[in-house]
Amino acid sequence: MAFPIIPYIQEVTRLEWLRKFFFVKTAPLLTPPYFRGFPELTGKTCTHALFCMMACPAPGAIDVIRTPGGWQPRIHMGHCIRCGLCVEACPNGVLTSGRILESMFYDNTRLSFSFRIDVNTDLCMGCGNCAVACPVNKLIDAQMSHGGRASTDELLLKVSEGKCHVLHVEKCTGCKTCENHCPNEAIRVSRLLEAVHGQEEEV
Amino acid sequence: MSILQSVKNLVRSKSIHVAYVDVGSCNGCDIEVLACLSPRYDIEQYGIYVHNNPREADILLVIGAYTPGWEEKLHTLWEKIPDPKVAIAVGNCPISGCLFNRPHTLVDPPVSKHIPIAAEVPGCPPRPTEILAAVLSVAPLVFKDYEVAKR
Repeated sequence: MAFPIIPYIQEVTRLEWLRKFFFVKTAPLLTPPYFRGFPELTGKTCTHALFCMMACPAPGAIDVIRTPGGWQPRIHMGHCIRCGLCVEACPNGVLTSGRILESMFYDNTRLSFSFRIDVNTDLCMGCGNCAVACPVNKLIDAQMSHGGRASTDELLLKVSEGKCHVLHVEKCTGCKTCENHCPNEAIRVSRLLEAVHGQEEEV
Repeated sequence: MSILQSVKNLVRSKSIHVAYVDVGSCNGCDIEVLACLSPRYDIEQYGIYVHNNPREADILLVIGAYTPGWEEKLHTLWEKIPDPKVAIAVGNCPISGCLFNRPHTLVDPPVSKHIPIAAEVPGCPPRPTEILAAVLSVAPLVFKDYEVAKR
């Protein structure tokens, strides 16, 4: 028997070993700084572009409020899923989370937005609430009458022949005001997020 | 403080029994709770044991956005846990419903409408370290000197 029983017993009866065996715990695990946490403010100026709210997949997770120091995005814990899309979407780099901003800088990527407006013609009753509420329409034709009828065709939304028609979908900013004002849930705004590589001019 | 109370405090600080219940989640938070048991996070070194039996439990981890199937069951389950007891909401779903809380869905968050929730761990899913920190920070608040506080 070459089994070294004596050194083994000597080892386990050492006070130091016994203390380690019964009392030592593994070190508390620290969250590394490169983990994506809840987005934090970097201190840059928010311009109220609201791209963060448009990109956010979780309902009620982010909003932009007016503070005495200017606009400021606010993250709601319990709603935020830490996906980091608001960090990527922000054109000004107001938010930061993990190393999203660094990797976006090195990889030269950004998010591009486009929007699609679907009008369910079966549900639409041509009330024109959407066209009147639309802030883009308001900039183009401030004189738009109630009912959404107008003389110009440069508008985003316009009511003609009793139905709402989408004329220039490329002017949409994705604010979903029309969707919120529709009494029939007939209009739906969907956003198409696309990760693109390279500068804005090249695309 | 009596000697009996100090003995109780000592025992309760070293033996926290946890049951977890999934009231309709995507299983993401279940996996994170399970990861707490793994050697990397190792909750048993802090004296936290997972039995998943409400009759033995001190802490109930509630996971999920509360689907209608749990309407009569969750409160019954909460009643089965002997005092002192505490419920912790793990993840966004029991706090707000998160992604499931949309129009035309059947979920009924928050869970604090149905049973008293003592602590909430936000995240989708929360990290195992955050779950562990929540359990360890809420347990002494409730279990230490429980009989004195009740009186």
